[in-house]
Amino acid sequence: MPTEEELGLLRAMWRIRVFEERVGALTRTNEVHGLVHLSVGQEGVAVGVCGALRDDDAVYGNHRAHGHAIAKGAPLASVMAELMGREGGLCRGMGGSMHLVDVAHGFLGATGVVGGNVPLALGSALALSLQGGDQVAVVFFGDGAVQSGIFVESVNLATLWKLPVILVCENNGFAEFTPRSAHTNVERVSDVVSPYGIERETVDGNDVVAVRTTFERFLAKARAGGGPFLLECLTHRLRGHYEGDPQHYRQALADEEWQQLDPILRLQRRLGVEGEKLEAEARAEVDAAERAARESPFPPPSLTAELVYAR
Amino acid sequence: MSEHGLSNERLIWMLTQMTRIREFEERVKGTFEAHPGVIRGHTHLADGAEASIVGALAALRPDDQLLATYRCHGYPIALGTDTKAMMAEIYGRKDGLCGGYGGSMHLADVSRGFLGTSGIVGQGIPHATGAGYAAQIRHKGQVVLSFFGDGAAKQGAFHESLNIASLWKLPVVYVMENNNYNVVTRVEQEDANAAAGEPLAVKAKGYSMPGVTVDGGDPVAVYEVVSEAVERARSGGGPTLVESLVYRLSAHGNIIAPPGVPLHYPEHEAITVFGDKEEYEAALRGDPVPRFRARLVTDGVVSSEQADAIAEAARAEMEAAVEFGLASPFPAAEEAVKYVYA
Amino acid sequence: MAHELPYIAAIGEAIAEEMARDESVLYFGQNIATHEDDPFLKQFGADRVRVTPISETAEIGMAVGTAIAGYRPVVELYMAEFMLVAMDQVVNEANRFHYMSKGQVKVPLVLKAGYGFTCGWAGQHTGTIYSMFMGVPGLKVVVPSTAADAKGLMTTAIRDDNPVCYFHHYLLTLEHGEVPDGEYAIPFGKADVRRAGGDVTVVAIGWCVDRALNAAEQLAASGIEAEVIDPRTLAPLDMDTILKSVAKTGRLVVVDQSTRHGSAAAVIAAEVASEGFGSLKAPVKLVTALDATVPYSAPMEEYLLPNETKVVEAVQQVLGNAPVAA
Repeated sequence: MPTEEELGLLRAMWRIRVFEERVGALTRTNEVHGLVHLSVGQEGVAVGVCGALRDDDAVYGNHRAHGHAIAKGAPLASVMAELMGREGGLCRGMGGSMHLVDVAHGFLGATGVVGGNVPLALGSALALSLQGGDQVAVVFFGDGAVQSGIFVESVNLATLWKLPVILVCENNGFAEFTPRSAHTNVERVSDVVSPYGIERETVDGNDVVAVRTTFERFLAKARAGGGPFLLECLTHRLRGHYEGDPQHYRQALADEEWQQLDPILRLQRRLGVEGEKLEAEARAEVDAAERAARESPFPPPSLTAELVYAR
Repeated sequence: MSEHGLSNERLIWMLTQMTRIREFEERVKGTFEAHPGVIRGHTHLADGAEASIVGALAALRPDDQLLATYRCHGYPIALGTDTKAMMAEIYGRKDGLCGGYGGSMHLADVSRGFLGTSGIVGQGIPHATGAGYAAQIRHKGQVVLSFFGDGAAKQGAFHESLNIASLWKLPVVYVMENNNYNVVTRVEQEDANAAAGEPLAVKAKGYSMPGVTVDGGDPVAVYEVVSEAVERARSGGGPTLVESLVYRLSAHGNIIAPPGVPLHYPEHEAITVFGDKEEYEAALRGDPVPRFRARLVTDGVVSSEQADAIAEAARAEMEAAVEFGLASPFPAAEEAVKYVYA
Repeated sequence: MAHELPYIAAIGEAIAEEMARDESVLYFGQNIATHEDDPFLKQFGADRVRVTPISETAEIGMAVGTAIAGYRPVVELYMAEFMLVAMDQVVNEANRFHYMSKGQVKVPLVLKAGYGFTCGWAGQHTGTIYSMFMGVPGLKVVVPSTAADAKGLMTTAIRDDNPVCYFHHYLLTLEHGEVPDGEYAIPFGKADVRRAGGDVTVVAIGWCVDRALNAAEQLAASGIEAEVIDPRTLAPLDMDTILKSVAKTGRLVVVDQSTRHGSAAAVIAAEVASEGFGSLKAPVKLVTALDATVPYSAPMEEYLLPNETKVVEAVQQVLGNAPVAA
């Protein structure tokens, strides 16, 4: 019999899965416009990590951050409204897909420039450690970000200052349209940071239980004053880099291959659970979110002047 | 001494270059006292690093190339650049190596393979990596040396460059002169590896590249290590990170201050910031130039008289360089708007 | 003879043709040449065409080093904002070496980067920041607005012995135009008078050129003839053509997708106020983006940007037909 916790993991992944697929459909009618990066296939990482955290922990996503935000507690309707550019959106339509922020739930934000979020997380970690509590900072980035200078600058400083930050790499083997082998000859991200001796582990990112278990181990240590940590999650990005990406650069997975990788199917097989009911529940939630988002008005243009500076 | 393959002649050449570099740097430093106002801005001396500089350059072929940092006087001296033109450049004169346009931090002697410097920590590392790419596709077996300090190893530019050089197997040897200080900060205060008591060469592991640490006070040891790295690069084996341990005998640079404040060299930061006189005095006792001289004399490679003659010749040469610099006219003011565009 | 090409293909054609003409031209950057069928890779080989990791500091810094060592690299950067990650290399390294060495070295490189993609690409991917690179000694800045100009200016950029920021507008990517066959080079510092007119000078940059031309059509219906000028390069900047036009019309509106104080328009206006004051019959009007990060939501995004209506309004103001807004 699956436990409540295990069912919870499944539900959380289904919510993201259905949401992302819905967003994909909405981009084709342009109700969600602009540059959108979907995380179908990577739900195990978002759920494994974010579900273990509290609202007062600080999480940063990258440009592929819908799953991070949702797993961290951002309401589906608010995320959908943001993607539709509506007043009821998380950021009142100011940010869009790559700039989701939900401070109330500790999601300090998605960011659009690769690697730019890593030092932000260090800053949060520093602030949290100065405040003396046990909160931690977590930052998601892809394998492509690891070759950016900003990454190693951050690793050095986080290690030197022993910051309570957990670096979570979603290694899906591709940075935009190129495979990892075009970026470096060090295959594993955890090997790139090996000179710094930080505690690190590589896990199967599509095994949400493995992600959760390992993450919780690092989390406990971080809360007790340890840090930094690196969790490399090997995963698969099922869709293109962005919605509209023709993906000439790689072969599509055969269905059978995907079925073996899919984090949702894998957990279901392991628990002996059929997915239809959970999928239907998720669909109902996403339907409601879509309706609510559509009913929200567009924000007034005057908002552009109001928010340039803090008052 | 023959196991490293260096002839006596070559060893004497090394001593000569080390002596010349020391003498030149002493003259630069001395100019602040003897001729205040002649050197403006900021200079950075290589005294203490001579063995590392000369040992590394001894491994090169004439058509190899190098780039360095703002602490750049030593390299062109060893390459044979005219020291008169160098001093005139540091004095901002028309006959300077770069016509007074660059100054102490931006020497260049392209004809001898010294392609230039950057004054911004770490930013010359990608330049050298690019020159390495050029050397690779020129297919003449050239190698490029990239000189930088321990501080630069924290810059993103270092990480990005070494990753690409390793991936593309570029013929670059990255020579990190680790003098333990980044201006007034000690390396263990800013570097996670140093804080853990590890050599900085371990950073090479993250790039699947060999990393090696060498005593930068021993020119023969540096020569051996850099030669091996140069050969690997030349034969297509890719880059190496060489951590050369040196101790700079002067402060980071002369005082930075607006005009009116004298710009002399203060004491070394070990004393002024960390109150660690013993560290500095130990470094003085281990000064690589007299140490190498003593070794060569002991081994019968050079006699005391010959070594004295080398020192005397260096003194005379650098005295002449100072005189030349002082006598060289300033460039015409309107020259300032030339060379903006090629 | 000419052939029709979209703007983005015209740029590629210039790069390919120059690479064929000159073996020292290289092309590298992220996401290029990643499979053996890539046309650049097939034609020019893996020495000259390479994919890089996400490492802008190294990409641009390496371009500097490669250029100093005798090659002519073109770096594919995709977006001007990504140059910000490596700003030192662009404005404090590439542009300095020729000068500081008193000409011992040259740094012939091209930084190819797109800009202005206001299509819901949101705050960090939609900027128009070319003016950050104006006034930087040693650096050139190029902003083509047509397919033909895109080709001609890229050819010149590659041949120029200096570092060139080549900014191509993302909204113009698929705009087709007649592009001359074969070798085609447009000199820098030569503005293009796109439409002649005697009543008002409208200088516009990039995507705003078409806004200005459309506005000119609307104005013509009311008997107002606007002269529309595209500077094509911002450094060097052809003020002679602009001043000559203002001497004829006496009135100037400058249209620029950048924010007001971060615009080339401000520089152009200052130059006209300084060098052409005697010609002016009215103050200069700037039509720029409003001072905010580009928001994601479509109506807000549109609100921020220059458009035909704002250009027409500005023209009416300098003609004295409408009150000048405070």
